[in-house]
Amino acid sequence: MSYYLLLSALLFAIGLYGVLARRTAILIFMSIELMLNAANLAFVAFARNSGSLDGQAMALVVIALAAAEVAVGLGIIVAVFRARSSTSVDDLAELRG
Amino acid sequence: MLLLLIILLPLLGFVFLGLFGKQLREPAPGVIASALAGLSFLLVLSGVLTGGGEWAIEDWLPGIPFGLVLDPLSGYMGLVVTGIGFLIHVYAIGYMHGDEGFSRFFAYLNFFIAMMMTLVLAGSYPVMFIGWEGVGLASFLLIGFWYTEKVNADSARKAFITNRIGDLGFLLGMALLYSLFGTLSIGELREAIETSTVLPLALGTAGLLLFVGAVGKSAQVPLMVWLPDAMAGPTPVSALIHAATMVTAGVYLIARSSFLYANLQDVSYVIAVIGILTAAYGALSALGQWDIKKIVAYSTISQLGYMFLAVGVGAYWIALFHVMTHAFYKALLFMASGSVIHALGGEQDVRKMGGLKKYLPRTHLHGLVGALSLAGFPLLAGFWSKDAIITATLAYPFGGTGFYLAGLAVALLTAVYAMRWYVLVFLGEYKGSGQPHEAPPVMTVPNDVLAVGAVFAGFLALPEPLWNLIEPYLAPALAHVEVHHMSLALEWGLIALSAVVALAGLYLGYLAFTRWALPKWYLTFQTWSANAFYVDRVYNALIVNPLKELALVLALFDGFLDTAYIALAGVSGWLGNRLARLQTGYVRTYGALMVLGLVAVLVWGVLR
Repeated sequence: MSYYLLLSALLFAIGLYGVLARRTAILIFMSIELMLNAANLAFVAFARNSGSLDGQAMALVVIALAAAEVAVGLGIIVAVFRARSSTSVDDLAELRG
Repeated sequence: MLLLLIILLPLLGFVFLGLFGKQLREPAPGVIASALAGLSFLLVLSGVLTGGGEWAIEDWLPGIPFGLVLDPLSGYMGLVVTGIGFLIHVYAIGYMHGDEGFSRFFAYLNFFIAMMMTLVLAGSYPVMFIGWEGVGLASFLLIGFWYTEKVNADSARKAFITNRIGDLGFLLGMALLYSLFGTLSIGELREAIETSTVLPLALGTAGLLLFVGAVGKSAQVPLMVWLPDAMAGPTPVSALIHAATMVTAGVYLIARSSFLYANLQDVSYVIAVIGILTAAYGALSALGQWDIKKIVAYSTISQLGYMFLAVGVGAYWIALFHVMTHAFYKALLFMASGSVIHALGGEQDVRKMGGLKKYLPRTHLHGLVGALSLAGFPLLAGFWSKDAIITATLAYPFGGTGFYLAGLAVALLTAVYAMRWYVLVFLGEYKGSGQPHEAPPVMTVPNDVLAVGAVFAGFLALPEPLWNLIEPYLAPALAHVEVHHMSLALEWGLIALSAVVALAGLYLGYLAFTRWALPKWYLTFQTWSANAFYVDRVYNALIVNPLKELALVLALFDGFLDTAYIALAGVSGWLGNRLARLQTGYVRTYGALMVLGLVAVLVWGVLR
């Protein structure tokens, strides 16, 4: 049980690092997917451990949500790329106060 | 509906000319405005001939319907307002020729007619108050018509502010009546008061407060200071608003409320005293003026005083009779003055006039008729109505011998200053420069009509045993007053006496002002009179300047408050600026901060 959770935490930390350290929108995006799947892993692990199906159901919801997020997120990235021919998030700093 | 149309037609003219007047070429706005005023006159006339009518929206305000009434009183007044108003509209087409604000002027004039008719036709006090304020606004706009000059704008403000004092009285009087009777409809109030047992003190206070409103609007002592300054407006305005119609609204208000005042002897006495004081003050001040329009303006104040004397002694119909004759000859005098000013290219000082009889034969005739009618020359309109007022002080219940003698003395003064005006303007040698030219027909023809009125209007109501058309006509709308009938011999003796007084005054005036050898005491008086007995200066010292000082103090305090609040706003602005730097625009910074926050919450949750 604890190995699963450790792996999940590791995956999550890698994802978080990716989100914070990467500049390319696509890579950030992939890091977010990584974090989501880390959470999925934790859900499934808990579900198996407790014998209830709640965690598995939650994992399925997260997968569906991730699919929707991919659709929207990639759409945004394509639109941004068309507008500025770059996917670096540091170029998107118009909202600076 | 007909009644509403009387008001809506000129109002339509106001809206139309206000919106599209600038696109019209010169005579068009004047013609439209005149036509609408004329139509309004015809509507009033047809309404009067078909016996009047009523119109109301029942649920205008809770408990207060919006009512219009055309009864003999409002019909009579409405005829004067729209009739004289129409003539003055026509005259103004000529007078305002070439003025930049030609269409604006006619828009205002039409607005004035609409508001004045609201006031006249009102079936309840709140509706009358709307008209009351409306004519005040029209007066303000027209006095300050040439607003680029500071004097005119100041005069307009002075008129408006002085009127405000009176309006407050009107408002309070209305409130008191409402709290006493629970209605403000004039018809219902009349019934309620005639059958009521309300405390006379409360009723008297209400009457006095309404009278304060009338004092402001009709330029009576002590609120008379605005009317002479109101002459800053174009002359047709002086003729229409500040002589013939608006300033008589106070008289109309008292006559409308006659059922109230007929039961209030003390208040009526106050009104009569104020009236005779005003008449004397106006006549004395008129004697020393050098401005052609100001002479006529002070004479208006004096004649309004006569009207208030009449309503004060209970002779309501006589006051309205005088309103009508006065409207004719005073409008005539003003418009003759206007023609003179027009002819001399804007000159208003009578010392630079004289001898205009030769240059302006038609206007000279108008001026002569107007002045004689004002002076009470026998058989002219002013003679009959003024004599009726002076005689009424003996015949009507609230009068007295004192009023009679004072009235007669003022009549003498009236004749003297009317003659002075005529002599200085039309007789002697021309003292100005430039060639005077007679006014165009569009200006002289309305004056012809007014001159006919100034001569013959008096024959509508002659003393007994001759005919009197006005008293029986107005009787149903006015309160019934017990009149003490004099013997015919006495009555006609008094009439002869007042004729002699008028003639003596005219002769005296002629002698005094054609020979120019005036005694020393008169020259002292002249200085005082020319400054209207320094009332303005006294008011400035006692009221205006202290208020200005107070305003300065308040402005200082206001400035302090402003500074404090601006500083407060500066602090939050600075804070906002600092905080805005957090907003770097880099998504990674936001992400990092979010993670930090999350970690902080987690740590706090674990350690707790």
